[in-house]
Amino acid sequence: MTEAILSVENLSLRYRVPGGAVHVLRDVRLAIRPGEVLGIAGESGCGKSTLAAAMIDLTGANAERTSGAIRLRGEDILHLSADDRRRLRGAEVAMVFQDPMTAFSPVLTIGAQLVDFQFNRTGASRRDKWQAACGMLARVGISDPDHAMRRFPHEFSGGMRQRAAIAAALLMRPAVLIADEPTTALDVTMEAQIIHLLRELQADYGCAIVIVTHHLGVIAELCDRVAVMYAGQVVEEAPVDDLYHDPRHPYTQALLACDPARIEERSGRLPAIGGRLPDLRTPPPGCAFAPRCSKATARCLTDAPPRVVLGPDRSALCHEVAP
Amino acid sequence: MTDELLAIEGLGVDLPSGGWLPSRGRPAINILSGVTLDLKRGETLGLVGESGSGKTTLARAVLGLQPISAGTLRFDGAPLESGSDFRAIRRRTALMFQDAAASLSPRMSVGEAVVEPFVIHRAPAGDRRAKALDLLAEVGLPPEMAARYPHELSGGQARRVGVARALALKPALVIADEPTAGLDVSVQAEILNLMADLKDRHGLSYLIITHNLALIRHVADRIAVLYLGRLVETGPTAEIFARPRHPYTQSLIAAEPRPDPRLRRADLAIRGEVPGILRRPTGCEFHTRCPIARDICRSTAPALHTIGTGHFARCHFPETTKKGG
Ligand SMILES: Nc1ncnc2c1ncn2[C@@H]1O[C@H](COP(=O)(O)OP(=O)(O)OP(=O)(O)O)[C@@H](O)[C@H]1O
Ligand SMILES: Nc1ncnc2c1ncn2[C@@H]1O[C@H](COP(=O)(O)OP(=O)(O)OP(=O)(O)O)[C@@H](O)[C@H]1O
Ligand code: SF4
Ligand SMILES: [Mg+2]
Ligand SMILES: [Mg+2]
Repeated sequence: MTEAILSVENLSLRYRVPGGAVHVLRDVRLAIRPGEVLGIAGESGCGKSTLAAAMIDLTGANAERTSGAIRLRGEDILHLSADDRRRLRGAEVAMVFQDPMTAFSPVLTIGAQLVDFQFNRTGASRRDKWQAACGMLARVGISDPDHAMRRFPHEFSGGMRQRAAIAAALLMRPAVLIADEPTTALDVTMEAQIIHLLRELQADYGCAIVIVTHHLGVIAELCDRVAVMYAGQVVEEAPVDDLYHDPRHPYTQALLACDPARIEERSGRLPAIGGRLPDLRTPPPGCAFAPRCSKATARCLTDAPPRVVLGPDRSALCHEVAP
Repeated sequence: MTDELLAIEGLGVDLPSGGWLPSRGRPAINILSGVTLDLKRGETLGLVGESGSGKTTLARAVLGLQPISAGTLRFDGAPLESGSDFRAIRRRTALMFQDAAASLSPRMSVGEAVVEPFVIHRAPAGDRRAKALDLLAEVGLPPEMAARYPHELSGGQARRVGVARALALKPALVIADEPTAGLDVSVQAEILNLMADLKDRHGLSYLIITHNLALIRHVADRIAVLYLGRLVETGPTAEIFARPRHPYTQSLIAAEPRPDPRLRRADLAIRGEVPGILRRPTGCEFHTRCPIARDICRSTAPALHTIGTGHFARCHFPETTKKGG
């Protein structure tokens, strides 16, 4: 099996809040191999964005790692020097956010910013950088890139801004591209185009992609492997085909069952999971999903579920899943 | 009593170019044109189309929040013309906003927010506190929620508050602009089920605006598809999804990412962006992106063809049916 390029090892992280802490990531293990596309799914508030931000050491000031490590090519990124951290962000790992506006300053042209993003290319002249930026804009499907370089971010449509943000992220040829809900703010046709673009870019540049989304269709279209999160834990990990055709964790099963896109029969009512995520200030002793789970037994409420290995790339965190 | 609740005929909306500045001498920008649509009592109509196609503008025009430049509107048998007509429809129509949490005032408790429509429309509410608790119960929120503030709500709870507000004045029509955008599938289902229950209980009609086709397929009786401010196809939901006739509708349905890796698409169902509203293409406005466009499409605007009962498509070749979905 190929060595992981980025690995999250038993990571636990909490946010300090008035009167305590929220335990947002709990013993998360995940490995990203070179060139693969990994999807992170799960309902709102389960910790997807926190995990994605942790991979690039961009968690908020009140975040605190209580255990574990994040290793890039074997080195813990939280023990890097300031210089190495700068190299990490952008050159090795780049990030694209849900709101493409956040990638750009409103007061500078797109071109000026795409040139600045290449600060690491010390040997290159400004002209080289301008040309590289222009080429990358063309590559992400922006027509008339020379013209686009002189525009300000607000003059772009949402879809164009997200393309430009992806161009910015790719300019440094990162080994890993992390995209947090990159299509959530876009409409269906733009979403389809961004998915298509990411797939092409992945084939061209061979970078690994981590994509965070609660849209199961996006993951199915794009990913090789999927990690499903629930209440700060990875509850199931599987190759994409297995996840959609043989989901094993009760939460994954419930999540897939309530996607209206997977329900053929038109009915006035749609299935829902019911209940809420537990309060992560005091994580429950047993399985976090137990109060909502249709398969739960008495021990699910009291004992932490084991990680059941189901295959070389498959596991589920559940008492009731048989290996 | 007829079963027509809302009738929109030949609706056009122009906006002055140049935003806030005085528009004298500058040409108006045409946003909507020739939109003819009706909504029956107890019916759910889905309005779909890409970003910028004019969905929100249409809703605003119906409520008199946006001046119209052409066409007529009729609500419950009476024409909507004067300011007082529109005030009347606004009392009987509730608007659920695109961003539920942001549309709640941060300084107003949930209890105050749900009865605010009575204040806005100067309607007698009786005992406001009791009314607020009734409305919260109606949308499945416990009474203690009344004391909460918007920032203390989850996305799903904020939507429920939005639904409660919409119900306050016992409307005949609810216009919901992206009622579940940004919600998880499970919470989305809870909100849609709630809306369906309330519809059954109170005989409501819904106009649901969304670009989520997977969702609208389950909840709408009929679908209307907007492209650049024109209706390009309308028809019964089941028929639209089984046999979409307009190439744009076909592309939209095909573009939806399907939650099954075995159904991945190798190609793109639809390329490019919607042309700018200032550069409307000639002929059929979809021809720049249409996979079956021919010469006539570039020169001549197509008429609305009748496909079947209540099913229309604005295309020169509505018979060239590609399988959708
Ligand atoms: N800086 C912070 N301080 C305190 N709590 C936080 C902070 N950031 C996030 N949280 C909380 O941590 C939990 C996980 O948040 P996160 O944003 O990682 O979830 P997510 O899975 O990305 O959700 P979504 O799908 O809504 O984006 C949530 O309960 C959230 O409210
Ligand atoms: N106040 C305004 N001034 C100028 N143009 C406007 C104004 N409001 C809307 N428009 C334009 O009118 C068109 C229709 O906008 P509208 O908001 O109705 O679209 P929409 O279908 O609701 O889009 P979305 O899915 O993004 O909400 C767009 O091209 C928009 O740019
Ligand atoms: S451990 Fe129990 S409660 Fe948790 S998912 Fe498995 S069966 Fe359900
Ligand atoms: Mg997030
Ligand atoms: Mg809108």
